Amino acid sequence: MKPNPNDRAPLKGPRLGVEIAGVHFKNPVMTASGTFGYGLEFARYMDLNAIGGIVVKGLSMKPIPGNPPPRVYETASGMLNAIGWQNIGAAEFVEEKLPGLRDYDTNVIVNIVGFELEEYLEVARFLNDHPGIHALELNISCPNVGKGGFHFNKDPRDTHRITAEVRKASPRLPLWVKLSPNVTDIREFARAAEEAGADALSVINTLVGMAIDVRSRRPRLRFRTGGLSGPAIKPVALRMVWETCQAVRIPVIGIGGISTTEDALEFLIAGARAVQVGTANFYEPAASERIALGLAEYCRSHRIDDIHEIIGSLKDYE
Amino acid sequence: MLDKKVKIKAVRDLGAGNHLIVIASPEQARLVRPGQFVMLKCVENTGENPLLRRPFTIFNIHRNARSGKPAGVELLVKEVGVGTRRLVSARPGQTLDCLGPQGHGFQLPSDLPSRVTTACLVAGGVGIAPLLLLAESLLALRVKPILFYGGGTVADLVLREPFERLGIDIITSTEDGSHGERGLVTEPLAQFLRIHPRKDIRLYACGPWGMMRAVHELAVGHDLQCEVSLEARMGCGLGACLGCVVASPAAEGRPYLRVCQDGPVMNSRLVRWDIEPV
Ligand SMILES: Cc1cc2nc3c(=O)[nH]c(=O)nc-3n(C[C@H](O)[C@H](O)[C@H](O)COP(=O)(O)OP(=O)(O)OC[C@H]3O[C@@H](n4cnc5c(N)ncnc54)[C@H](O)[C@@H]3O)c2cc1C
Ligand SMILES: Cc1cc2nc3c(=O)[nH]c(=O)nc-3n(C[C@H](O)[C@H](O)[C@H](O)COP(=O)(O)O)c2cc1C
Ligand code: FES
Repeated sequence: MKPNPNDRAPLKGPRLGVEIAGVHFKNPVMTASGTFGYGLEFARYMDLNAIGGIVVKGLSMKPIPGNPPPRVYETASGMLNAIGWQNIGAAEFVEEKLPGLRDYDTNVIVNIVGFELEEYLEVARFLNDHPGIHALELNISCPNVGKGGFHFNKDPRDTHRITAEVRKASPRLPLWVKLSPNVTDIREFARAAEEAGADALSVINTLVGMAIDVRSRRPRLRFRTGGLSGPAIKPVALRMVWETCQAVRIPVIGIGGISTTEDALEFLIAGARAVQVGTANFYEPAASERIALGLAEYCRSHRIDDIHEIIGSLKDYE
Repeated sequence: MLDKKVKIKAVRDLGAGNHLIVIASPEQARLVRPGQFVMLKCVENTGENPLLRRPFTIFNIHRNARSGKPAGVELLVKEVGVGTRRLVSARPGQTLDCLGPQGHGFQLPSDLPSRVTTACLVAGGVGIAPLLLLAESLLALRVKPILFYGGGTVADLVLREPFERLGIDIITSTEDGSHGERGLVTEPLAQFLRIHPRKDIRLYACGPWGMMRAVHELAVGHDLQCEVSLEARMGCGLGACLGCVVASPAAEGRPYLRVCQDGPVMNSRLVRWDIEPV
């Protein structure tokens, strides 16, 4: 066979792949839970195959109705939300959404929520058996739920306990624990989760905030307080990711205000193995794809062969 | 449906903070159904504040003067805050991010089992926005639209001309009596329904929450169907964030509906009127 003159050796692109708990991600960019629906909502606005993974909206075993509106309010460079864990329930997710997601060449991570320990275990057990899920992300840090239950993010011992129990409940799936920034020292919680068997840590969830309408003197959210996200929280998130990376050996996934390639690079340099794009998906539905392409372009133009040359490469002043 | 970088063609000041904004986007314009909206970034750069895009109803399809083909969309924008202030001061030629057309629009009588001959279109202020495309569709179906148009004062009753050009009866009312009847728009509507006790009337309303609630109550009182075009603060406008919900008495175990996806137009009986979403 004659060689086709148009065939050239494929351009050797930079290697962007990373591994988290034995699972390969084609690049270190994912979307953050609650900001990307169940993933398929974004398929018409971007190429879902272009990102390393999709973390779906927090799921419980039974559907959760959520909080009464208003639920969102924009603040300076960010937004407050008090959605209240509204979700369709794990069974409907597995039946209605997961088959569609499996058509894409990207990893699916399921964020799990619950009001009581037993509810977390129930959903973890259920999801453990379903093919097409690449990891669980344990959300112990959502501030938008009022009623009772455990506060697994208030005491590192509770973080340890829930991590260990969920670990046992879903032995097949890698377990990521998503930490709350609403604590004095995030490293204590990071270590507790690592000791209890977490495979990775997602850092951070939203910061509790508030806004008031001075005309009516009512809070802007009916729930009164809400979780702050978006570029406003990026410096806090970056600091916490950096601190966490110092405190544990397991991979850390950086989250908080990432909306540009440069933002993602900052988290990687601070030590994050991967990043999640959150609020930016709302005002730019293809943000995660753009950032993934941006990382490739950055590596190419800076002659970086492998993204690992960037991860944890923070330098000190002389 | 589509996320596009679009160009502003014109911004026309209509007084009292209202502006008609013409946006060039033929692809999006071709897809529009009455009652749908766009999510528009109010400033040129995607990363710039205000971050979140704002929802605006598609008032009209802008057509190419020669070919008559859809060339873009027209939006009626009332300045109420930081985003709308930036938007109405945009210059022609400026580029903005525009997502749309989004959402579930009006149910037209052709989709309905029961016969409708008359449609009462009820608008409060900028609530006029979704009703022009609806009126055109109704006329094409040989349903007679009557517009009940209310505002605080005459300056709020913008964009009546396109309705006049369609030959539609317009009953105006203002709270200060500067145009039409003095009082709330629901008063002439209530009077109309009283003297026309017929079952082939359908109501369509858009405006402040209290107005839509009153129209809903009239509909229930007269055993008529009513569709409302709702407002809620939105995060994404595409069904993902669950920020835009309205409480609903209907859905068992699912007490919230998304305004951006299940709406913005909904049957008024699907809405819980005791929980205002903004
Ligand atoms: C489906 C839909 C269609 C809409 N169509 C139109 C339209 O055709 N023309 C038009 O002028 N406006 C329309 N709106 C309302 C418009 O989106 C808001 O006025 C706009 O988002 C305000 O942005 P801002 O940054 O100027 O105000 P902000 O600074 O965010 O807020 C200023 C004031 O406006 C109120 N407000 C903000 N957002 C909303 C909202 N979504 N609904 C009600 N009140 C709000 C706030 O409570 C505050 O008092 C629509 C809203 C929805 C949900
Ligand atoms: C509307 C909304 C809903 C969210 N829902 C969840 C959720 O269900 N589970 C979760 O772990 N985090 C949730 N988050 C937090 C995000 O995943 C992310 O940690 C946070 O927003 C910070 O990232 P960002 O600044 O890039 O948005 C939610 C955030 C927003 C804005
Ligand atoms: S605005 Fe995000 S779901 Fe409706």
